[in-house]
Amino acid sequence: MNSNSATRSLLPLFLLCLSGALYFSNAAAQSADDIREGKVCASCHANAPIVWSGKHGTKADGRTPIANAGCATCHGDPAEHLKSFQNPMPRRFSKMASSEKNQVCTTCHQGQARIHWQGSTHERADVACATCHTVHTAHDKARDKRTQFEVCFACHKEQRALLNRPSRHPIREGLVACSDCHNPHGSVGPSMMVRDNVNDTCYTCHMEKRGPFVRTHQPVQENCAICHNPHGTTTPNLLKARPPFLCQECHEPTSHRGNVASLAGTTTGANTLARGCLNCHTNIHGTNNPANISNERTFRR
Amino acid sequence: MKARDTLRMAGMAAALMAAFDTVHAQGVEVQVPFALNVDSSAAAIGLGYALDDAPRFGMYNGITKEGYYGLFDFNLVDRDDATGTWNWLSGRNLGLDSPQARYEYSKQGNWGYYLDYSKITRNEPYTVTTAVGGIGSPNLSIPTTPTAGAPVDLRTKREAIGVGFDKFLYGNWNLQVRFRNEEKEGARLFARGTTGAGPAGSFGAFEFAPEPINSATRQLEAKIGYNDSKLQLSGGYYGTAYNNQYTGLNFTGGLAGLSNFTPIALPPDNQSQQLYLSGGYGFTPTTRGTFKLARTQATQEAAFVTGPFVPLAPGIGDNLMGRVDTTLVQAGVTSRPMPKLTLLADLRYDDRDDKTPVLVYLTPPSSTSNGENEPRSILTKTGKVEASYMLPASFRLSGGIGYEEKKRNTSPVRVVSYRETTEETSYRVELRRTMSETVTGALAYVHSDRDGSPFQQTTVLAGTPGSNLIAPIHLADRKRDKVRLSVNWAPIEPLSLQFVVEDAKDSYSGRDGSNLGPREGRAQNYSVDAAYTFSEQLQANAWYSLNNTRAEQSTCVAASATGVCPAVGATPIWGATLQNLSSSFGIGVRDKPQSDLEVGADLSYSDIKDEYRMDTIAGNPVTSLPDISTTLTRLNLFARHAFQKNSGIRIDYIYDRFRTNDWTWSSWMYADGTRITQDPDQQVTFFGVSYYYRFQ
Repeated sequence: MNSNSATRSLLPLFLLCLSGALYFSNAAAQSADDIREGKVCASCHANAPIVWSGKHGTKADGRTPIANAGCATCHGDPAEHLKSFQNPMPRRFSKMASSEKNQVCTTCHQGQARIHWQGSTHERADVACATCHTVHTAHDKARDKRTQFEVCFACHKEQRALLNRPSRHPIREGLVACSDCHNPHGSVGPSMMVRDNVNDTCYTCHMEKRGPFVRTHQPVQENCAICHNPHGTTTPNLLKARPPFLCQECHEPTSHRGNVASLAGTTTGANTLARGCLNCHTNIHGTNNPANISNERTFRR
Repeated sequence: MKARDTLRMAGMAAALMAAFDTVHAQGVEVQVPFALNVDSSAAAIGLGYALDDAPRFGMYNGITKEGYYGLFDFNLVDRDDATGTWNWLSGRNLGLDSPQARYEYSKQGNWGYYLDYSKITRNEPYTVTTAVGGIGSPNLSIPTTPTAGAPVDLRTKREAIGVGFDKFLYGNWNLQVRFRNEEKEGARLFARGTTGAGPAGSFGAFEFAPEPINSATRQLEAKIGYNDSKLQLSGGYYGTAYNNQYTGLNFTGGLAGLSNFTPIALPPDNQSQQLYLSGGYGFTPTTRGTFKLARTQATQEAAFVTGPFVPLAPGIGDNLMGRVDTTLVQAGVTSRPMPKLTLLADLRYDDRDDKTPVLVYLTPPSSTSNGENEPRSILTKTGKVEASYMLPASFRLSGGIGYEEKKRNTSPVRVVSYRETTEETSYRVELRRTMSETVTGALAYVHSDRDGSPFQQTTVLAGTPGSNLIAPIHLADRKRDKVRLSVNWAPIEPLSLQFVVEDAKDSYSGRDGSNLGPREGRAQNYSVDAAYTFSEQLQANAWYSLNNTRAEQSTCVAASATGVCPAVGATPIWGATLQNLSSSFGIGVRDKPQSDLEVGADLSYSDIKDEYRMDTIAGNPVTSLPDISTTLTRLNLFARHAFQKNSGIRIDYIYDRFRTNDWTWSSWMYADGTRITQDPDQQVTFFGVSYYYRFQ
């Protein structure tokens, strides 16, 4: 940084602090309410009062910071800081470990969907509440379907790339959010699924796949993610691989199952083009057709 | 001070994301936030025009055709400070085919309710040209000979209404009730058929049979919670139901050889009921335990499809009487016995017990089935322990062991390899640094090893040995190694950089004496992000990602029923290397050259290539499939001019291009003449003009 740019950067800071100093010279005249409601704080921390325009600032709710110690509820007693800028606030979030920061939030926000925060993948990765949530803004991106994925992609780069695959969920349109499937605050399901397992999570939208069916397809019943990648694929229907390759990862090569993939031929083309193996095995998630017909067990009708 | 510290507070990774005002990846910046905040009341209304048809671009946003589109969003929030009463009404995409709306009323800390509505339309990105009649209904008429037909737009539409109620009860108790009803209708790609003779130009006896959709999904959850500083509980009921108006898909016409392929059973009605109790307890300020107990009963008793081509074996009733009971028990504890040491232990038991009656549906049995239905039970036990220790210079070292055991059932007669139990042990070590002014990051290594009980002999009827060559990918012995490195670096004040490297490798073992089946998997992800703040008015960011996944597997053409491979002459044993390689980048700039003018630009580009390399291991040569390349380009430009502090006009320009040489449907013709195509080079330009107003 050269001296000119340093001067430009520091000048607003200097003016801000100067105004703050002038303000505090008269601090004794400020009421306790002014301090609690952050009016004093706002002279230096311009975005501080925004927090009161949300739920934290509802005075009629006795649980909120504004109804209690105001800014000090989260940031600690400002008394020493008000005497001199050299005295830091008791809780300087920028200097605190994630666990310490989170402890401030979990004082109030620990029940219901956050019960399993401790020990969750995010907690163990030192993710702080403020890593995802912005309290001092009018718009918290993490709580908005249109913008939530931007928050998640700050860390989850592979999922960001998969979002642009031709087969995908409508995430970038803001119609499905990461939190529709994952509980970032922790759950008992794998990968922080909102329900207790992968399949139960998928069933919240795709309940027609649940069955059970007369003819069941074992991996379908076990875990949708054996065949599908919900974050995006190039193969239609979010399939991890294109039939027949996908099917050949499990099935014995007897009969036609080991046929080569090809764009030609009535048997090889039919296992590769269009819906691939599903051209015949059309009800691949399972069929409830009870017909006493031999090939019915292979999901054909 | 504040700009810098605020960024640090949120972490540098988040800072990269937060460098700009909100930018929607679809190109519509969030002028109207969805937020319960009295400072976020706003509305925007305008008009957009798409210059071209754009099936891919409009797959979910509805902008599929050239023409005008309405742009209307609003977010109205009011709080009565004296009573703490909120009124919140929000609407989005109200001029498009994916409207979302929500109304919420609450007396904060006391009670509240909400109503929401959403519609998601999925427009099939392929163009279907067909003469099949009755699309969208459960009765299809299929031409008996290839017929040219006309273009048909296939789409599915989900309309959901949600209702919720919250009440804080006496003491620290609270009640929460949620209900959601989603109606889904439309039609999607589907077909029936078999290999064999078909008309010239087709690949066999396959007929286009779009699946009609007319169903409802309902979810009801009612739970009571308790919160105090030590104990938190949440217990309740979660019920779901799926109701399908169509039980079977019936056909008239079509090929004579498919005349008995009717009806095709459609997804049956099913439902589930769950009772659960979940909780956490702080034994001490540094030790906390969590648990969950849940019991679920899922049933499926929908009436079977009937008809002349649905003969029933003796003793089969009119429905499956399907029932699956699931018991979940989880318990975990985290503790910090010393200031620098953190310990974690977690156990989980998940018993999916399929109690569906086993009956003989097929008489006489076929050569590869004993004729019974096959309920699927899965018992999963998992456990993990982990310890982490704070080192000097804000480093933290973690290590852990995880274990998962899965036990599955099977039919005594089967055509897919089976082992009763798989066991996987994972070892994880990580070095992390989170508290630093300039560099934070983590380096993690995970090794996992999966094996299990011996594979059982695959048998066909009467104990005859079947083919035993492939270990299914989710059952096979597997060694997995995964490395992840993430670094956040702020070398100079205005610049933030982030690097992420992930490399994972799977090695599979096959059935004894066989080299067929999954052999190896690889996933590599590299990304770099940068954000630069030139000034308070001008910021830029950029990112690049390289992603590569590869799978190697092998199989054999026409092995004998007992797994002799090759069974005949020089039929090939062949392998495939499937690779998906993509590189993507994005660039964004925001500037505020004047106090009343904001401009921004975002460019994103993805180049995705799927390779299907096939090689002969023995026997006759095989030929690789052609690669499929897909590129997506998106340019968003906007300018926002403020007439006043709280109102102004915004102009949006979006250019979107989708290119592909995907051959999936290009040469395919159904026996009825149906063809499914897509424009291999789709370009669309969209202009939008909107007026915004922020209520203050």
